[in-house]
Amino acid sequence: MKEALSLLCRLPAHPDSRCWYLAWSPGGSLLASCGGDRVVRLWGREGPGWACRAVLGEGHQRTVRKVAWSPCGTYLASASFDATTCIWKKQPDGFECVTTLEGHENEVKSVAWAPSGNLLATCSRDKSVWVWEVDEEEEYECVSVLNSHTQDVKHVVWHPNQELLASASYDDTVKLYHEEEDDWVCCATLEGHESTVWSVAFDGSGERLASCSDDKTVRIWRRYKPGNEEGVACSGTDPTWKCVCNLSGFHTRTIYDVAWCHLTGALATACGDDAIRVFEESSPAAPQQPTFSLAAHVARAHSQDVNCVAWNPKEPGLLASCSDDGEIAFWKYQRPEVC
Amino acid sequence: MMLEKCSFCKKGECIKPVKVEKNHPGKAAAKIRIEADGSYFQINQDGGAQKLEKAKITLNDCLACSGCITSAESVLITQQSHEELYKMLAFNKTAAPNEQKLVVVSVSPQSRASLAARCKMNVLETAKKLTTFLKSLGVHYVFDTTFSRNFSLLESQREFVKRFRKQSEDKKALPMLASACPGWICYAEKTHGSFIIPYISTAKSPQQVMGSLVKGHFAEQQHLTPDQIYHVTVMPCYDKKLEASRPDFFSQEYQTRDVDCVITTGEVLRLLEQEGISLSDVDPAPLDTMFSSITEEELTSHSGGGSGGYLEHIYKYAAKELFGIQVDTIQYKPLKNKDFQEVTLEKDGVVLLQFALAYGFRNIQNLVQKLKRGKSPYHYVEVMACPSGCLNGGGQIKIEGESSKDLLQQVEKLYESLKTEIPEKNQTVNELYEHWLGGMDSEKAAKALHTEYHAVEKTSTGFNIKW
Repeated sequence: MKEALSLLCRLPAHPDSRCWYLAWSPGGSLLASCGGDRVVRLWGREGPGWACRAVLGEGHQRTVRKVAWSPCGTYLASASFDATTCIWKKQPDGFECVTTLEGHENEVKSVAWAPSGNLLATCSRDKSVWVWEVDEEEEYECVSVLNSHTQDVKHVVWHPNQELLASASYDDTVKLYHEEEDDWVCCATLEGHESTVWSVAFDGSGERLASCSDDKTVRIWRRYKPGNEEGVACSGTDPTWKCVCNLSGFHTRTIYDVAWCHLTGALATACGDDAIRVFEESSPAAPQQPTFSLAAHVARAHSQDVNCVAWNPKEPGLLASCSDDGEIAFWKYQRPEVC
Repeated sequence: MMLEKCSFCKKGECIKPVKVEKNHPGKAAAKIRIEADGSYFQINQDGGAQKLEKAKITLNDCLACSGCITSAESVLITQQSHEELYKMLAFNKTAAPNEQKLVVVSVSPQSRASLAARCKMNVLETAKKLTTFLKSLGVHYVFDTTFSRNFSLLESQREFVKRFRKQSEDKKALPMLASACPGWICYAEKTHGSFIIPYISTAKSPQQVMGSLVKGHFAEQQHLTPDQIYHVTVMPCYDKKLEASRPDFFSQEYQTRDVDCVITTGEVLRLLEQEGISLSDVDPAPLDTMFSSITEEELTSHSGGGSGGYLEHIYKYAAKELFGIQVDTIQYKPLKNKDFQEVTLEKDGVVLLQFALAYGFRNIQNLVQKLKRGKSPYHYVEVMACPSGCLNGGGQIKIEGESSKDLLQQVEKLYESLKTEIPEKNQTVNELYEHWLGGMDSEKAAKALHTEYHAVEKTSTGFNIKW
């Protein structure tokens, strides 16, 4: 039987340390990785495999926890436990650190660019989420400091086409933020998880969000706008988000990352049980009560915790993953005939 | 100091180090066992277990610590609250005459405006009725910190001109940053330390000037020692409690603070509620004029907004002193948001003075980052920690059912309903400079009206955590 998720290649990306996160460039040709060795590496295709194209060092004093590409692909942001976020710019001869964003009181856990490319969000163990604005002169200014979460904020991600920001926290919630007048406010709090929410991902349309948690579940949330047909109550002009699906019983440990492919709709998870799983929505989809089934499961995808899974934005089925074992793995996913 | 469950923990085992007092030097380090419910037990040599007390964090620990992991809510502010005021008043009732303390309450104009809005009265009525209420509880004098603010404004403007004149020799003379907001000061000391401290004005805040006045001049007049006076202030925020606890404002000689207790506007409301009193039903009492801002039976204020008016006063004074320009009205230019505004003095196309208001954390962030990169164009910045300034402080009264925006507007209107006075014109202030301080440039004036700041050393956490 053909395997739904098959290994293409494995790389020792961050020797003797953890590989924490991966991010594909918007064009899909480069993969950025970051790790406990305090550097960011860029990987490009070389023949059938992948080779290191650049090493972005001397930017951080401690672990680099996340990396994120700007929508135009010219900039790369790296979030570090040294409490700073570096902005690297693509130059003819490599990448150069053009700015270092300071301000968080302690470890920065995540960074993400808004679809417009003008805004950046960071979050930290200091419980806050910051929104930054970049101007034409590449100057970054803090636009808002949001203190809605009551604990360490693990991840931030932007809506695919709107200036709507989502954050995941050790306080077991997901929060959403948008701009109101001259400041940013928390416009929704998604409760339901029973432990730390480690990551969130929007689907391609931005109408749904997937969250993954230490409670070993993945939850799917759906946005309901005021005056919606389904009769879901909204307060004022803000949409409500409701949990429409709870994927439980599939993971045996903490789920550290979830990635929702914008090309195919497949949902991948990175788990503390060293496995990678891919879920597919059963069709025809019933929007109010979608069902997802397990389409692929690689039990020993890595030799330790899987920290991140990332779908290539241009090549359907190409998935990258990384682990505490310092390795990156590339996978080919093919939706099985029967799910 | 015991720390709570560490948010680094991935696998549910707490790996935070716990500092245990070593009572027996030379013995091995204590073994600690952590129960499922989060409680800590010390395992003795013989295997017996002792439950360990959760450490309480005091205000001063909080102020000093730069790596606090426990959440802010768990800080116990036990030393200062309306309960403490009650205790002192109760003590006074039963104490022998020579042990009794003279209780003085200094009310901030921001708290007064907030109370006025809540009780639906004008500011003068509120002041008079509040005086009656406090005195009915056993308070002896009720003053107004608008009075002591005169000194803060005068000292700030003179300090600015001095700094402006020596900016070529001293790279850190400008921009001068406001010093009246303890939220800003604590953050600055803790996060930017020796980088930012040289820029901060050394002028004391109105609260602390009142502290010096009451425990210094007033005490002398009353033939009392400073520790025989219990000085309470009513403030729009909680950070003023931290300010009052600063070691710089503690008299070693008399073992007493310049301000013994700070209560917030909200806490005054709680006092009223506990006594079952509605402020509007109380009879008005004459105001204590000694340290209040009253001219001909009218309460006065200062121009320049609800956070004290530092920018405006310094700007007008500097324009006159440095360039001979008389400024009557100030034009504010809002920048990125309403809490960040600029004021520019230009003549013949040349910028002479560039000042700014920076309220709220995000604007403070940007200001400091620009300063660090050498890109700050300002000569003076009125920095306040709270968005919209002191009238919107965290200790102000909130009204159920009213939008905070509407309420703030009401409070602002009440605050601005008073006639404004120019500090230089205040007779009592001038007399005090002469007779209490021996002149504006005296050493006594410098000591009574200025303070210092201290960088808080960042302790290395030593966790070596790989998460």
